[in-house]
Amino acid sequence: MIEIFHHLVYGLQIATTPTNLFYAFIGCLVGTLIGVLPGIGPAGGIALLIPLTFGKEPASAIILLAGIYYGAMYGGSTTSILLNVPGEAASVVTTLDGYQMAQKGRAGAALSIAALGSFIAGTIGLVLLMLLAPPLARAALKFGPAESFALMFFGLSTVTSLAGKSLRKGMVATTLGLMLSTVGSDLPTGIIRFTFGIANLMEGIDVVVLAIGLFAVSEVLTSTEEMAAGEFVVEKLSRIWLSLKEFMQSLGAIIRGSFLGFFIGVLPGAAHVTASFLSYTLEKKMASDPDNFGKGDIRGVAAPESANNAAACGALIPLLTLGLPASAVTAVLYSALLITGIRPSPFLFDKHPDVTWGLIGSMYIGNVMLLILNLPLVALWVKVLRTPARWLFPIVMVISFVGVYSVNASSLDLLMATGLGILGYIMRKLDYPLAPVILGFVLGVLMEQSLRQTLMISGGSLEIFWKSPIAMILFLLSAIFVVLPRFLARRKGMHLA
Amino acid sequence: MKTERTGAIVVLLLGIGYLWKAFAMEDINIGDPLGPKAFPIFLGAIMTVLGFSLLIKPEAASTEKLFGRATFSVAALAGMLFIYSIAIGAIGYPVSTFFFLLLASRLLGEKISPAGIAIALFFSLGVFLLFTRVLDIHLPLWGMIRR
Repeated sequence: MIEIFHHLVYGLQIATTPTNLFYAFIGCLVGTLIGVLPGIGPAGGIALLIPLTFGKEPASAIILLAGIYYGAMYGGSTTSILLNVPGEAASVVTTLDGYQMAQKGRAGAALSIAALGSFIAGTIGLVLLMLLAPPLARAALKFGPAESFALMFFGLSTVTSLAGKSLRKGMVATTLGLMLSTVGSDLPTGIIRFTFGIANLMEGIDVVVLAIGLFAVSEVLTSTEEMAAGEFVVEKLSRIWLSLKEFMQSLGAIIRGSFLGFFIGVLPGAAHVTASFLSYTLEKKMASDPDNFGKGDIRGVAAPESANNAAACGALIPLLTLGLPASAVTAVLYSALLITGIRPSPFLFDKHPDVTWGLIGSMYIGNVMLLILNLPLVALWVKVLRTPARWLFPIVMVISFVGVYSVNASSLDLLMATGLGILGYIMRKLDYPLAPVILGFVLGVLMEQSLRQTLMISGGSLEIFWKSPIAMILFLLSAIFVVLPRFLARRKGMHLA
Repeated sequence: MKTERTGAIVVLLLGIGYLWKAFAMEDINIGDPLGPKAFPIFLGAIMTVLGFSLLIKPEAASTEKLFGRATFSVAALAGMLFIYSIAIGAIGYPVSTFFFLLLASRLLGEKISPAGIAIALFFSLGVFLLFTRVLDIHLPLWGMIRR
């Protein structure tokens, strides 16, 4: 314990040198800007800015990039809350209650709880990172393809069961997301699937295209209809700041979201997306008033935002302790470390303590910086909502289209985003939930891969799942989450009758 | 209820169409017991079953009508977005964005005025410069006009 404390002090000494403080600040600032602009996302943002690290000390380079990482994670929530435009897949769940809060004039409170929740989660995540990194890295190694498949199955089942009013419509949405994930070239065999001869679809549909189409475009279409029908109402902004009561109400959700997010973040795959969705469903499940979720409940913002940030800390564990990048963002960080002459390996903590502990120290500093940077910005962001809707929506489209275009510089992606927007508009009208489409899409490729890997290992036998206690527990939990609420509701209905 | 059934028919047709394409796919599964077809076939089957289920026993009808008196505005904006999608590559980002902003805001109730033209000009150039100069993201300046 004392040793960890010494290491932390060492890390803080490195992180608080004027140069590194400056890099952490620039990283947070640029990261927040990237996060606010839809489409680029943390992984893309870091990749774009890797050239900035050329010629810098390894510790400074990684501190700069990590600042961009957590800045972008936080910034992504801003447009989700204000405009129902998720910058990336993990922010989708924040739109559910965040945007509803904004529509009720409580955008300031939603943005504040996102900032505070991210700060608390980041701090909890870092403490856990320091204390639990080695044992967790070993535990994560026990997660083979069978366990990964079971975890993703669990994530999809819980989200599907709680996403909307109807289980069947939730299942349609999830299956649609999974179907969209199969478009493109099948990685193991190279077979082209569902591209209809369109060469640009060989690499599949990008999640940015799907998220902006389904959420941003459909939101603008829905609002256009309301404006034309004279039903569009701009709620007056009530109190900007968060009340103590609201903070206390969210605290439990923040703490639970932080722990859940951290542990899921350690696991491979789209962990931060799963973490944000699962923490939301957990809160809804635990709430005595679950009907308030989706209508602007502050816990529905606090939980996924905290989980998202804590998952970012968790995701660093496989990278720093095993030298394995477990997510897109850590893969980019891995490349950045290689460029600076450092090869991530299980010996990184011993060989390069300045980098690892400097990074951990800088994350503490970065968390504080993000809070200082973002809380005053809340009042500024909220003013965006005062822009007349007849200008706001076209401008949102213009910026969103840059995000889509930046993926492949292709007009086809823009056409697809528009088409998906029309689909999202119709789905909203018919009460089909949109969020499970994104989760299904993000997890689809990984689920199919892990299922195929599992069956390759077992020679095609499903017994491998029964033999894994972790997988069995997760399957059992999935069944409980889906079946139990309906069974209880039916019994309650029978009693009432 | 009619709208619900229409939705169910679309889900069913999507499931059947996807299933048909999945079955028609080439199959290679050397050392891979599932191969590239099995997962899509499974998804197609689920979607088909869900479509049938929703058709036979529809959910309680959603409150909103699919088409209303404002549908024209939605269709007009969707049309503008389709044209804008193609125009970005054809005539470049700043020009297409300028016209999109002007026309979309007109559709939403803004009158075309010198102030409106100034706003459209400011944002089309501002967004272009922010992304291309500050963030180094490629956006076409003139599209195919100057090719």
